[in-house]
Amino acid sequence: MRETVITRDIVANPKSKYGDAPASTRHFITQRVTGAINIAFLLLLLFVVVRLAGEDRSEMVATIGNGWIGIPLALLLVVVTIHMRNGMRDILEDYFAGRIYRLYMMLNTLFCIAVAVLGVGSILKLVFWG
Amino acid sequence: MAVATLRLGQGSLAALEVSNRSKLRGARRQPEISMSVRSRPLSPHLQIYRWTITMTMSIVHRATGIANYAGSALLVIWLLAAAAGGTALDTANAVYGSWFGQIVLFGYTWSLVHHMLGGLRHFVWDFILGMEAGQREALAWGNLIASVVLTLLIWTLFVWVL
Repeated sequence: MRETVITRDIVANPKSKYGDAPASTRHFITQRVTGAINIAFLLLLLFVVVRLAGEDRSEMVATIGNGWIGIPLALLLVVVTIHMRNGMRDILEDYFAGRIYRLYMMLNTLFCIAVAVLGVGSILKLVFWG
Repeated sequence: MAVATLRLGQGSLAALEVSNRSKLRGARRQPEISMSVRSRPLSPHLQIYRWTITMTMSIVHRATGIANYAGSALLVIWLLAAAAGGTALDTANAVYGSWFGQIVLFGYTWSLVHHMLGGLRHFVWDFILGMEAGQREALAWGNLIASVVLTLLIWTLFVWVL
């Protein structure tokens, strides 16, 4: 995140570096890879939701509680939260700077961790304890 | 992300202009050029340009990304309710099955589909394909139309018929 004012000298200097190049490339590649994996997540989600929408608990346990469905769903949900956090970082970088950026970025991280932990925890509960 | 690119593009364009000027005209009086995050944009922004389908789909891609971000809570609440027990799940099902819940879930479906197709469009662009005039507009319109068609197809097949 840029916090120093860009002066004329910085702009004129061809050796100026803007931002963290390895981190930015890593961000770019992570977003593509997780995005591609998310297509699999959406297909599995479609299958699960179509099968279970409005159904009672025993049906939920029978489908999500099946490890061949539950475990991939849990893993893909973690990948989704990585994609979510990366994407929200893009937005926050555009509109905020400095301390307020870091505050929002921390909230972003906390929300994504909460989604991952609660989602995976619930799925594992259905898989291992019914 | 495309919105960000647009803005960065403008910023660096302005920077290029400034550096060119400083090369060409030396010490001639310059406009204020110290750029900070807050002082952008330096060039005309959205309200100046003709509204195009590509910029609209770029903005919608970001908007649907935010919607999906929030919508992930809906999925987690559903899973949590199922893990918590029968009564919690009944409550969740009643809320999600209500007319308001169904409207939200329909919108969430469209948002997910649109964002996925937008991502596929970005994959196409990553291979430097479909960037010519006409092609990019076709991709943008295709993204919009296909997202609506796919969403209606999913809901027709799995909700309204089955």
